[in-house]
Amino acid sequence: MEIPYTFTARKDTGLFNSKIGIWLFLASEVMLFGGLFSGYVFLRLYADYPWPERALPVLPGLINTFVLIGSSVTVVFAWASLKMRQWGRFQFFMGITIFCAVIFMVLKGLEYNAKWHHQAVRLDDFTILEGHTHAAELDEHGHLHIHHKHGAEPTEEEKERQFPANVVVVEAEEIDFTLVRAYKPYVEDILAKAKERGAVPVLVDHAFFYGSPKDLPIDPAERKKLEDQLIKSHEASKEAVRFGDKKDSLYIPKGTHLTADLLDRAKGVYLDGRAINGEVRTEVLRQLWKDARKADKEGLPDFKLAEGIQIDPEEHLTGLVAEAPAALNFKFEKPVALHFKRSLIREGDGSSKLKDDTIIKGAVASSPLGLAVDAVDLRWVAQRAREQDKVPETVIEGLWIMENPEFKEIWERHSAQLAILEAKLKEDGREPTENDKYRIDWQDLVAFHRAHEKHLEPGSPEVPGLRPGMFEGITGPNHKIEENQHAFFSIDIPNEKVGFESLFTPKWNNYYAIYFTLTGLHGLHVVGGALVLCYYLFFSKGLYRRNPEWLANRVEIGGLFWHFVDLVWIFLFPILYLM
Amino acid sequence: MSSAAEAHASDGHHDDHGDHHHELPFWKKYIFSTDHKVIGIQYGITALLFLAFGFYLMMVMRWSIAYPHEPLPGWMSWFLSDDWKARWLQDGKVTGETYNMFGAMHGTIMVFLGIVPLGFAAFGNFVTPLQIGAIDMAFPKLNMVSYQLYLLGGLVMIGSFFVESGAAKSGWTNYSPLAGFADSQIVNQFLAGQTQWLLGMVFLISSSLLGAVNFLTTIINLRARGLTWMRLPFFVWAMLVTGFLLLLAFPPLEVAAIMQLMDRTAGSSFFVPSGLYTKTAGLLEASGSGSPLLYQHLFWFLGHPEVYVLLLPAIACVAEIIPTNTRKPLWGYKSMVYAVIVLGFLSFIVWAHHMYLTGMGPVVSNFFQTTTVLISIPSVILLTSMLISLWGGSIRFNQPMLWAAAFIPMFGIGGLTGLPLAFNLVDLHLHDTYYVIGHFHYVVAPGVLFGLFAGIYHWYPKITGRHMSNFLGHLHFWPSLIFMNLLFFPMLVQGMAGFHRRWYNGGDAYLSKASDSVNIFGNTVAEWLWLNPVMSWAAWLLAAAQIPFFINFWASIFIGKKIKNDNPWDATTLEWSTPTPPPHGNFTYDVNVYRGPYEYSREDHEGDFYPQWEAPKRDEPAEEPAKKPVA
Repeated sequence: MEIPYTFTARKDTGLFNSKIGIWLFLASEVMLFGGLFSGYVFLRLYADYPWPERALPVLPGLINTFVLIGSSVTVVFAWASLKMRQWGRFQFFMGITIFCAVIFMVLKGLEYNAKWHHQAVRLDDFTILEGHTHAAELDEHGHLHIHHKHGAEPTEEEKERQFPANVVVVEAEEIDFTLVRAYKPYVEDILAKAKERGAVPVLVDHAFFYGSPKDLPIDPAERKKLEDQLIKSHEASKEAVRFGDKKDSLYIPKGTHLTADLLDRAKGVYLDGRAINGEVRTEVLRQLWKDARKADKEGLPDFKLAEGIQIDPEEHLTGLVAEAPAALNFKFEKPVALHFKRSLIREGDGSSKLKDDTIIKGAVASSPLGLAVDAVDLRWVAQRAREQDKVPETVIEGLWIMENPEFKEIWERHSAQLAILEAKLKEDGREPTENDKYRIDWQDLVAFHRAHEKHLEPGSPEVPGLRPGMFEGITGPNHKIEENQHAFFSIDIPNEKVGFESLFTPKWNNYYAIYFTLTGLHGLHVVGGALVLCYYLFFSKGLYRRNPEWLANRVEIGGLFWHFVDLVWIFLFPILYLM
Repeated sequence: MSSAAEAHASDGHHDDHGDHHHELPFWKKYIFSTDHKVIGIQYGITALLFLAFGFYLMMVMRWSIAYPHEPLPGWMSWFLSDDWKARWLQDGKVTGETYNMFGAMHGTIMVFLGIVPLGFAAFGNFVTPLQIGAIDMAFPKLNMVSYQLYLLGGLVMIGSFFVESGAAKSGWTNYSPLAGFADSQIVNQFLAGQTQWLLGMVFLISSSLLGAVNFLTTIINLRARGLTWMRLPFFVWAMLVTGFLLLLAFPPLEVAAIMQLMDRTAGSSFFVPSGLYTKTAGLLEASGSGSPLLYQHLFWFLGHPEVYVLLLPAIACVAEIIPTNTRKPLWGYKSMVYAVIVLGFLSFIVWAHHMYLTGMGPVVSNFFQTTTVLISIPSVILLTSMLISLWGGSIRFNQPMLWAAAFIPMFGIGGLTGLPLAFNLVDLHLHDTYYVIGHFHYVVAPGVLFGLFAGIYHWYPKITGRHMSNFLGHLHFWPSLIFMNLLFFPMLVQGMAGFHRRWYNGGDAYLSKASDSVNIFGNTVAEWLWLNPVMSWAAWLLAAAQIPFFINFWASIFIGKKIKNDNPWDATTLEWSTPTPPPHGNFTYDVNVYRGPYEYSREDHEGDFYPQWEAPKRDEPAEEPAKKPVA
C-alpha cells in the first residue's frame, strides 16, 4: 500500500504531502519561537535589574551567523545537484552543510562552557562581582584554605582534595536525618567527607521501630522490659537487629554507625508502622462517625458534629503500633568540618539545613567565597540609589568593596578615564551610558593593570579608553594569559556579604535564562536538522538509485527546515549578542 | 487518489504489490500499527480508560466535599495500597493536599488525556481518512509515533501519583509562582510530580503537534477525486479547524512548560517575581524579576483555543448524526463551515478573559470582553443550524440520535451560562466560584461527552460490524442525562451564592469561621450547602450509569446484532461505502465523489438518500459541477 502524493505533487494543490507537512510544522515552530521571543520582550521590559547589554562575546556569534547563512546556501546547492542528478556534487555540498553545523555547535559549546565556569556574586549591597572562583581545601584542622596564587598546575592528588572556593563549612556536631526524605547521595557524601576527616557519625540514642502490633506489649512496663532486654543482649554489637514473631520490627542500638543502608532499613519499618496505624485509625474513625450519626437527633451539620469526634489512641492500643521516630539523630565525637556547595545548604545559627530536611547542628565556620574578579558591575547599585533619591557616586563610595585597596585604585582610575570619555562625548552632545559609568569590564581591568605597572597616572592618555573597539578582545578574557591573571584582583567575600551567587547559568538572571533557553532550543534544532541531513548524505544512496526525485524532495524538506533554523538564528543573534 | 485506489479497484483482495499482504503479526497489527483505523481505536480505548481514571479522582473529591470529616469509604479505596493511603489520607480522610493533587490531575487528565484524544485523535483518526476517501493518513508512521508519545505522556502523568511528592497539586492550569516552587523540596527534581507534569505535557504537546500536521496534510492533499472543499462533510471541516488550533495554539503552552521546567530544574526565574517569600521555603533563593503574568498569558493562549479543540469534534459528530437520522440535509451547511472558520480564528484572541482578575487594566479587559462576546456569534450559528436541522425531519431516535439530541440543549446551557462570565464586571463576582465550574462542565461533560458518546454509538457498527444494544444504551443514556444535570446544575446555584472552587472540605472550614457572611444578593453559602451530598451522590450514580456502557461496549463486539449491510444507517458519506470493518487500505473501489455530503430525501431521486459515491445515472442532469477538474 502506497500513500499517494508522497513524491509527486497533487495537481490541484501543487504540493506533495511532506511539503505541506513541513510548512505546517514550520508554522507551529514560528509559534514556538514566537512565544519565547515574546517572553524575551516581556522579561526585558519588566526587568527590575539592569539588563545585561552586549554581555556575550560577539565574534563567535558573528562567525556562527555567517556559518549558518553559508550552510543555507550549500543546502540549496545540494538539492539542486540532486535535481540535476549529480550525486557527487550533492555529497560535496551536503558535506559542507553538515560541517557548518558542526562548526556552529562547537563554537556554541565553547561559549556555553565558558559561561558554566564563570562565577557571579551579588553582594548584599547589590555590588556585582564576576570572575573565577579559586580552588580551596580543608586542612587537617578543618580550616578552609583558599589558593589565591595561580602557580603551578595542581597535581592529580591535590585536584582530588580541592574544590571551588564557594562552599559553606559547618563544624558539624550532630546530624538529624528525616527517614522519609533523606536523600541517599547526600548521606553518602556526608559519610565520605566525615571518613576523610577520620570521623564516624554514631546514633545518639536507642531506636525501636515496631512493624507489627503483635510485637508491641500493651503494658508500658512490659514494653520497657522488652526494650531493656533487647538493649542488654544487642547493645554491644552496635548493629541493627530485627525482632518480633516475624522479624517485622527493628532495634538500632545507641552508637551504631551511620550507613545509607541503615537509614533505608529504618525507613522501611517506619513506613510499615505508619501504614498499619493509618489502617487502624481509619476503621476507628469510620465507626465513630457511624455512631455519631445514629446519636444525632438534631441533624447537625458535619462541621459541628466533627468537633465531638476524636480518636482516643489509649482505647485502641491492641491495634496501633507505637509511633516510631520519624528522624534519626547521629552525632560526632568531636566537631567535624563538613563543606557543602553554597546553593545546597541553608546555613543558620547553630543548625543548618540541607534540601532533604537533613539538619546539621554545629557552628558555621568562616568560609569566604574566593574570587579572582574580572569584572565589577555597579549599575544595580546606581539604579537602586536613584530609586531612593540618592547620588549613585556617594553610595558607591560607601560600598563594602571600596574597603579593598586594589579596587579603590581601580575605581579612581575608572573615574578619571570616565571623565575623559565624558568630555569627548560632550563635543558631540552625547553622554556616557550606564555601562560606561558603572561597569568595569575585564578590558578595563587589564588596561588599568598595565597603567599601574608602568606607573602611569590615572587618566593618562596612554591608557586605552573605556569603550573597546568592535572586535577588541571580543573572545572574552583568557585566564591562561599570564598578564591577565595579574590584572584580576582577588577578593575573599565573607559568607554574610554574599547576597546571591551563581555561575553564569539560567539561575544568575533572566537574561541568561532566556539566552540558554532560546539558544539551547535552537541548538537542539540544529542538531536534529543535521542528523536528518546526515541520513540523506550517508544512508540514502539506495533511494537515490531507486527514486532520485523522492530523495530530492526529501532534501528539499530538510532544506526548508534548515532555512528556518537559520532564520531563527538571524533573530537570535541581534537580540542576545548586540542589543 | 489514483495509484492506491486503482490498485484496490479490482476486488477486495488487495493484490497490489503482492508482498505486503501476508498477515501481520499481532504486535504489528495492533500495538505498533500504522493503520489509521487501528490507531484511532487505540486512541479511543486509551482515552476512555483515562476518562474513567479522571472520573475516579473526581469521585474522591466529591466525597471530601460532601463528607469532609469522614474516612473515604472502602468501595473507593480498597485497591489503594496501605502505604499510599498512609501517605495521602489522614486517618482515611482526604487531606487538602490530596484533594489539590486529585483536583489538578482530574483537570489535566480529563482535558489532555481524555477528551482531546477521544474527540480529535480517536474519531479524527478513524473517520477522517474514510470520509475523504483516502487509503490512510498522509504520514502513517508519524501517526503511530503520535499515539506512542501520547501514551508515554499519559504514563508519566499517572506515574507521578506514586512518587514521594505525589502528582502535581497546583491546579490543572499549573500557575506560577505556586507551581514553580511546589515540590521544590524534592532534591531530584525529575522525581517530583510537579516536574513530571511538565515532562508529560511536553510529550503530549509534541504528540498533538505531530497529529495536527498529519491531519491537516491528509485533509488538504488526500481528498478523493471530486471531493471539493464544499463537498467535505462538516466533520472534516471541524477536524481541519481543530487541527489548525492544535498546530498554532499548543506551541505557546510548550514554551510555558519549557520555561517552567527551566525554573524548576535549572533554577531560572522566568515566572518567579523578585523577593518571593513562601511559608515553606522562606525567601526563595532565585534571581527573581520574573513574571507570573507571562505564564498566564502563555497558558491561556493555548487554554482558550483548547476549549474549541474539545468542543469541535463533538459538534462534528453531532453534525454527522443529525442529518443521517432526520433524513434531511444539514441546515445551513455553508454558514456552518464559515462559522467554524471564524470561530477558529476568534478563539485565538479571547484568551485573556480568563485573566480579568489579574489587573491587566480596563483597556485590555475591554478588548477581550468584546472579542469574547463576538465569539458567541459563530457558536450560536453552529448550534442554531443543528437545531433547525431537526425541524420537519422524520427523526429516528436510535442511540446515536438520542445522545446527539441531548447534546444540543446541554451544550446550549453550557454556552449560555458562559455569557455572563464574558463581562468582566460580572466575572469579578463569579470568578473562581462553582458557577465557573458548573459552566465549563456543562460545556465539556453533558456537552462534549454526549456528542462523543453519540459518535461512539454511530460509528461502532462500522468498526465492529455489529450494533450496540439498544436496551443497554437506554440504560446508559437516561441515568446519565439525569445525573449529569443533578451534578452540574446545583453548581451554578452554589456558585452564585459564593461557593469557592477550591474548598476541599465542602466549605466547612469557611463556615466554622464565617457562617453568616452573605453575598450581594443576600445569599449565604450555608443555605446551599445541602446540595453538596446531592451532587456527590449524583456523581457516584453517574459512575454507576456508565456500567451498562462498559458492558455494551465490550460485549457487543461478540454478541451485538449484526449489521444488515455496510451502510446500516443509510448514510451518504464515504466511510459507509467501505467493507465492514474497513480493511487496511480502506476502499475496494476507485473512489469518486459526485455530490455534497448530505443529500437526503431528494425529490428527484429514488430512496431517501443519495450517497456521495453513487455515480449519477446517464439521463440525470449533472448538478453543481466541480468548478475545475480535480486531480
